[in-house]
This record gives sequence, C-alpha cells and structure tokens, in this order.
Amino acid sequence: MTGARLLRGAAGAVGFLVLAELFIRFGVSEDLKFPAPSVILLEAVRLPADPDFLEGVVTTLGNWVLGLLVATAVAVPLGVLLGALPPVERAIRPLLEFLRPIPSVAIIPLAILLIPVDELMKVSVIVYASVWPILINTLYGMHDVDPLAKESLRSFGFGSLAVLVRVSLPSAAPFVATGVRIAAGIALVLAVSAELLAGGVAGIGVYVNIAGSGNRTDLMLAATCWAGVLGVLANMLLLTGERRLFRWHRMRTGAAQS
Amino acid sequence: MTRKLRCHAIVLGVTVALTLAGCGGSGGDTAEAGGNSKGLEKTTIKVGALPIPDPVSLYIANAKGYFKEEGLTVEPVTITGGAAALPQIQSGALDISQTNYVSTFLAVSQGKKIKLVADMYQAAPNTFNIMVPKDSSIRTVEDLKGKTILVNNLNNIATLAVTTQLKVAGLTEKDVKFVEKPFPDMGNAILSGQADAGWITEPFITANQSQHGFRKLVDTMTGQTADLPIAGWMATEEWASKYPKTLAAFQRAIAKAQQLASSDRKEIEATLPKYTKIDAKTASVITLGAYPSELNANRLQKVADLMLEYGYLKSAIDVKSVIATTGASNG
Repeated sequence: MTGARLLRGAAGAVGFLVLAELFIRFGVSEDLKFPAPSVILLEAVRLPADPDFLEGVVTTLGNWVLGLLVATAVAVPLGVLLGALPPVERAIRPLLEFLRPIPSVAIIPLAILLIPVDELMKVSVIVYASVWPILINTLYGMHDVDPLAKESLRSFGFGSLAVLVRVSLPSAAPFVATGVRIAAGIALVLAVSAELLAGGVAGIGVYVNIAGSGNRTDLMLAATCWAGVLGVLANMLLLTGERRLFRWHRMRTGAAQS
Repeated sequence: MTRKLRCHAIVLGVTVALTLAGCGGSGGDTAEAGGNSKGLEKTTIKVGALPIPDPVSLYIANAKGYFKEEGLTVEPVTITGGAAALPQIQSGALDISQTNYVSTFLAVSQGKKIKLVADMYQAAPNTFNIMVPKDSSIRTVEDLKGKTILVNNLNNIATLAVTTQLKVAGLTEKDVKFVEKPFPDMGNAILSGQADAGWITEPFITANQSQHGFRKLVDTMTGQTADLPIAGWMATEEWASKYPKTLAAFQRAIAKAQQLASSDRKEIEATLPKYTKIDAKTASVITLGAYPSELNANRLQKVADLMLEYGYLKSAIDVKSVIATTGASNG
C-alpha cells in the first residue's frame, strides 16, 4: 500500500523533472540560458562538498530550530492561558486577528532597522512568523476539549488546575503538535528570506545571493533545492513524531488515512 | 627513590606550567599592547561587502594580515546592496559597509548622517557597458530612442550613467524606458523581448558576450563619466567620531590593500574565488575598474555634480562635508 504510494510519488517527481528537462532543452529558444534540472541536480549533489554552503546550512538550521523552539515556548503557554480564560481571549482576539495576516516577510526591513544583532534579528522574525500557527492551533485545541470529561473530573472534586493538567492539556496536545509542524515550514521560509534580504556571514540565503552575483544561476537553484529538501525532512520528522505520540488521538478522531 | 622522582616530576611540571603561563601571559600582553599602543577603541569590527569584485581589498587585507598588523579583527559580512546596508550601519549591526556613491549622496541629501571613510572602486573603460543582442537593429546610442533599457536599480548610478550617454547623442532619459532587473536575469530578459538593451557590469559583460553573443553598444564610463568613482566604504557620523583610531587603522590597512590590488591584478584574481562565485578562469578575463587608495574629495565631487546636473539631487552637496575628517590624516 505505502510502497505503491511511494512509487506513484516518485513517478510524479521524475515525470516532472523529465518534462522540465525536455522543455528547457528543446522547448525554450536556444539563445535563452537557463540551467536544466539535470544540471541543477548535479550541482545540488556537489554542494555538500562546498564548506561555504555547509556553513550556510548549519547557520540557517540553527536559526530555524532556535526560532521554532522560542516560538513554541511563547505560543503554547499563551494559547493555554487564553484558552483557559475566555474573557481574556475575547479581549485579545481582535489584535491577534489583525496581526496574524500581516505577511511576516514584510517585517524583515523593520527588524533590520531595529535589531542591531544580525542573528537576533533573524531569529526574531522567525519567532514572529511561527508564533501564529502554534498559538491558533493551541487555542483550537483548548476549545475542542470534551466538556463531559471536564465536568466529570470537576464532579469528582478536582480543582480547575487539575482539570487543566489532566484533561485540557493532553486533549490539546495533538493540535499543538500540528501547529508546530505548520510553523516549521513557515519558519524555514522566514529563515531563508531574512538572509536573502539582510545578507549575513553565512546562510542558505546568503549563499544564493553570492551565487547570483557571480552569475551562477545553477548554484542558486541547487541551494534552493536543498532548502526544499530540509523542509520536507523536517515535515516528515515532525509528522512521524506526531503519529508516535498521539496514536490515541488519530484512533479517536478516526483519522487513519494519510 | 620513588619519592625523589615524584619531586622531580612535580618540579618539572610546575616549571613547564609556569613557562607556558609565562609564554601565554607575555603573548597576551604583546597582543594587547599591539592594540593598546594604537589605542584602538574597538578591536573587532563587522564590515559589510557585496560578493562582487569591488570590495576585493577587504579580503586581501584580511588574507595578508594588514588588519592584524593594525590590531584589528575584521569580520566580513555579505550584504545585499549599499542602500540595504544603510539601516544595518545605523542599527549597529555593521560597523562599516560598502556603499555606492550615488546612493550615499542621495541618502545624505535626505538628511542621513553618514560619512565616507575610504575609497573602493572607480570605473575604468568597459566596466559598465550598454549591451545589445548581436543581431539587434540598435547600432548607435541614438537608436535607443523609444527603447527599453534594463538597469539593476532605478534612480541610481545605472540610470545616471546611461543618461550621460543619451545626452551626448542628443536624447534625454525621457526618450527611453528604464526597467529594473537584477544583472543575472538581464541576458535572458533581453533575448525574450522584455527589453532592447541592458546596462551591464562584470562578470555579466563577459558572460553575456560568451553565452549570448551580446555586443557592446557604448561604454557608459566615457566623457562626463570617465573614471567615475563608483563605490566606497561608509560609516555613520556617530561611529566615525566615536572610534577615530579604529577608523584610522581600517583606513591604513585598506589603503595598503588597494595599492596591492592596483599594482598586481594576480592578487585580485586569486582573491575573487574566495568570496564570490566568480571562478579563477572568469576572474582572469573580466575587465576590472581601478582601486584608488586615497579618498579624494575633488574626484568624488564629480559624482555629486553630475547628480545635481541630471536632477538626482535638488541642491548641491559639498563632498568634503561627507568625508570623515578623522582617520587617515592622524595615522
């Protein structure tokens, strides 16, 4: 079952690459110069041998992970607090709904001007962008707690803190995990965007800038490919973690597929 | 016997430890004295530079130890543009940064408190050309009338340089259409019909010649713009007055590297592959500008005057007031 699915996925990817290769080699006018997928993939395979690129990957990954951790540390308690105190949530909600749709990339120029330490600036914009999905998902999770379970515990004489710890938090945890997984993708976008806009000592985005200035479109795209690979790997890792940790949740909601 | 041995061992150990400590101590002292005798207010600075041939001296000075001789540790930071680096020197993320002079004078005219601290790059023949496809009907600058020209930035050195050439041909900037496009994309954009010509610099002049067979329409650094100063190093006014000795040390090391760069092209060719993606082969064939070792107000005034003449500035700028007064003179 999974084997067949994997096979189909691989066929789709290979088919796309072959089509792109044919289009660039034969479909596009001969005068135009654009690296074909085979050229880009070859460069992408060679890239890990480039110490500058490796340093860049380490830097970008570091900012990414740090930003995601800080965002989780900020957004989860905030979401639990707001979820547990509905009047406060109603007061803050309009502000959240206003801030949330602002494209996070748009705050990078402001962050460059305000934050004098380069790494801090980059981590800050990652945190800003990643907080929203985690916060909103935590809130949904808190709303989704089974009221019957809460009432049962209360009628057995448990205090509200005990109800929070024993019912609300475990029940909201799968939502939080989904929020973190969504935030991971956004955090990577911001990590690379901040480097593209602000530059820096090292980073995947910095590497792309340097390659562009040296007329190496192939290297630009190869480095971009790696950013995509990192994103896919992170998503897979988090998804596996979610499935392991919250098996009971999937069984309960019947979300057995995917 | 064993006891005596142990004693010896202890004495030996202590002696070695003391000697090492002594070495370490004196080493530290000299290093500090090196910094102190120069009286540097700040010994580690972050310097922003673009991954292009212009700021090569920064990397030469680092590799040859010119900064170390001055007691200075320089961390190069890749920036995305002179204008983009301005907020970074203002916030303090960078101490000094590369800038182009047109951007600098525009910023100064808007009241930004920045100072030029050293010269970097000056145009030479064929370093900034207008290029067209080999079979283009555009043969002379007059033929550009009504055409679209790609530039890397609007309202900057590119449009200024092109406009000076249009003037020679009896045209003005109103006779053409400028469109913004990054250098790497210009060749394909022109061939796919998005534009008719492009204002192109190295390594893209060489790349477009060899890959697309583009030909030069005109060198934009001739006549009024001959030997035009292009790029320099900037700091904020506050930084320059707060760290005068650090600045002087930076200026001395950069001047020394500029001299080496202008006397020996091989040094540039060897350094380019280390901080750009221009390989040694390309580095050996591209046309390079000049690397002046002295920041000369008279030469720079030409840029400000051209900007005034073509309406980039509303009022005249006295370039002397933009050049940092402290520094090289007391070095």
